[in-house]
Amino acid sequence: MSRITQALIAVSCLLQFVNAYAGKQTLTIYTYDSFTSDWGPGPLVKKAFEEQCNCTLEFVGLEDGVALLSRLKLEAANTKADIVLGIDTNLTAEARATGLFEAHLISANNTTLPTVWNDQYFLPYDYGYFAFVYNKELLSNPPTSLKELVENADAPNILIQDPRTSTPGLGMLLWMKKVYGDDVSIAWKKLSKKIVTVSKGWSEAYGLFLKGEAPMVLSYTTSPAYHIIAEDDQRFAAASFVEGHYQQIEVAGLVASSKQKKLGREFLQFMMSEKFQSIIPTTNWMYPAALAPTKMPPAFKGLIKPSRSLLFDDSEIAANRKLWVNEWLEAMAE
Amino acid sequence: MHKPGKSAYPVLAILAFMVLAPMIALLTVPGTSFIESESLAFWKSAYLRRVLIFSLWQAFLSTVLSISLALIVARAFARHGKFPYRSFILKLFGLPLVVPAVVAVFGIVSVFGSGGWIPLGRSLYGLNGILLAHIFFNLPLAVRLLLPAWQSIPKQHWKLAQQLGLNSWQQWKYLEWPALRENLPGVGVLVFMLCLTSFAVVLTLGGGPKSTTLEVAIYQSLRFDFEPSQAVVLAVLQFSLCAIVAMFSFRLQKLPEVEITSSSLQCPVDLKTLALNSIILLVAVTYVAMPILAMLVDALNGPILQVLMNPKLWRSAAFSLIIGLSAAMLSVLAAWLILQSSSDLYYIKQKRKAGYLEMVGSIVYVVPPLVIGTGLFVLIAPRFNVFDWAIPIVILVNAMMGLPFAIRSLGPTMRQNKMRYQRLCESLNLKGWDRFKTIDWPPLRKPIGLAMALVTALAMGDLGVIALFGTPETTTLPLLLYHQLSAYLMSEAAVTAAFLLGFCLLVFWLLEGLIGGGGDA
Repeated sequence: MSRITQALIAVSCLLQFVNAYAGKQTLTIYTYDSFTSDWGPGPLVKKAFEEQCNCTLEFVGLEDGVALLSRLKLEAANTKADIVLGIDTNLTAEARATGLFEAHLISANNTTLPTVWNDQYFLPYDYGYFAFVYNKELLSNPPTSLKELVENADAPNILIQDPRTSTPGLGMLLWMKKVYGDDVSIAWKKLSKKIVTVSKGWSEAYGLFLKGEAPMVLSYTTSPAYHIIAEDDQRFAAASFVEGHYQQIEVAGLVASSKQKKLGREFLQFMMSEKFQSIIPTTNWMYPAALAPTKMPPAFKGLIKPSRSLLFDDSEIAANRKLWVNEWLEAMAE
Repeated sequence: MHKPGKSAYPVLAILAFMVLAPMIALLTVPGTSFIESESLAFWKSAYLRRVLIFSLWQAFLSTVLSISLALIVARAFARHGKFPYRSFILKLFGLPLVVPAVVAVFGIVSVFGSGGWIPLGRSLYGLNGILLAHIFFNLPLAVRLLLPAWQSIPKQHWKLAQQLGLNSWQQWKYLEWPALRENLPGVGVLVFMLCLTSFAVVLTLGGGPKSTTLEVAIYQSLRFDFEPSQAVVLAVLQFSLCAIVAMFSFRLQKLPEVEITSSSLQCPVDLKTLALNSIILLVAVTYVAMPILAMLVDALNGPILQVLMNPKLWRSAAFSLIIGLSAAMLSVLAAWLILQSSSDLYYIKQKRKAGYLEMVGSIVYVVPPLVIGTGLFVLIAPRFNVFDWAIPIVILVNAMMGLPFAIRSLGPTMRQNKMRYQRLCESLNLKGWDRFKTIDWPPLRKPIGLAMALVTALAMGDLGVIALFGTPETTTLPLLLYHQLSAYLMSEAAVTAAFLLGFCLLVFWLLEGLIGGGGDA
């Protein structure tokens, strides 16, 4: 065992040495691992950026945005990260409060977000809306509003994720809160009759949905685009709700302790460019944050467009998340 | 007078360090302290009370069901030495252990879900689903660990039983039950620990937050809530609960009074019993095989070639295998050192002390790897490059998690060896390597093979710690599987899952064959 370890360490040292010798800088980016996986945007982003930067881009993939933030809190100023990419707007207030990020100083006026972006610390790279995805052949009359889903006794059963362990789960919690406000507990009690199960993460729920465990699953408005583009399967659609859909914006930020801020900012600039942005739709299956609609893959044009995008102020989430999760737990306990 | 060996103590000291150092490190991380008012409210909350009660209740039910069913199945196995494909089935019974939670959930749902072969509809989600899944995981494991007890029943006893005309119940009462009492508490505690720490299975099949285990609360404290000290206290709570259960159950342990000689069972059976046993085995095999079969069906519908042609699959497999084998070797070595001391203690009739040694070695399992891993991270990150340390730590933590399996596999045989041969070895002055080679090794081969196979498989199916460190470029098979799942590639993931199972079966077959020397358990 130890020999194998030593060999592995030796190889990694050697690689670092080779890089240093070639005079190349290494930019380390902490992100979530579905971004860096073979099927995510990571490999293409790495290739495209390395072509222009004369540097090496190194991704460190962690479980999800939450794991990313807690890793950063644990490492604090000792972090190896130059850039953190993959935190969403539900976590930005907490991330900012760590004091570990530096203002990006990059203009965000080319964004194509439905809202104006003016965060000094974080830049958006993609966004999406939570929605219930269903199979058109199996469900002909999906509910047209969250209210209908909650209140109509005949509304279809659903699969959702747990807000304690999953980002979409938290998104659903905030969506309900935005629509129902103080009455959210009563609404959750009603809705709980239609919840087949609350899974640990997105994958479990989506997998169960594809196995036919429930007619609808909490996912993204962009999920059907995957099935259309990658599988040539037209059966899936997202149900459009009149109250609007809760929004998730994914961002990246520059770490204050980084020794390569120039290169870091170069990357952030690159992130807002067409090269990076056009990779996003068919790898992360989200809307790019700064890409002209004409450059989007055609399948995205057929997706539902929320009439309103719902989003809490990030400081409000930071202040209330625990409270709201407890409120949810109490409502679901009965 | 024979002096008990001290080899267990350094191992236990290392284990204690590996558990305590990370916990203490986590307590020093800034966050809410567990005595502040906000946190005090948590400790008094109805939520925590519910979580505690539910964790214990589901673990208790799962254990009782898994173990009682395992006793019936193992008895049928023991009495039916010529059941077709017996040896293959026993290898198959090692598989559920390696199935990553999410894959097991899909497998169970394929069988019992609304579109499944035995549709239970929505009633699957809740305690039903949790129990079905936990029996799937633990029944086969318990069968494998309990089966050797039947082989420890001396041939002469069966002959005597036959001459006395004992019926099946009397045979159970006078021959089998006494032989099992040595093993049963330990296996019971192991299954209890596995069920107590169950996370994704309980959450997803449990139907909602009503089915929350302590492990979920620990995850929540370390992740979304980021209160490391709260996580540590919860982990200590979980550990203490398990220690109480373990201590209580070791009271029930009883060692055989007589010196026993090894035998392969030749229990006389009539045709009626034979038929009944066959039915029991058929049902058990079907139950364990169904979810696995469902996974295979999913895989056969998937893009098999495309997945198999991906070089990353093979790199991940090799990497998983290295981690698994290293962890297993460490685990077996540690178990052997602990058991050296404890069997000495049994030999000089200090049964309780011996039991404690083995228990301490086993229950480190319930300290969540997330807590150990995060704590070690806190210790290492400021001083060293964490990526260089990730692999050794993953191996070490997996070895710790495998320790109870290794102790369970090796324990009974090492104890029996000591009882049987200690006096002989002393009179022949047989020591060290010579003794190991001639006395200890031959009967230990099979249990060591089993332990190596179990721990390797367990570590190969583990996602936990490697995901925590997030080393660049290194991927294990379960991690690859999760990448596929989160990229919508459900059918690719199904192929990868089947590959993981097949790979583990091969490893099982090789390790048990090469080390155990063939034959069945």
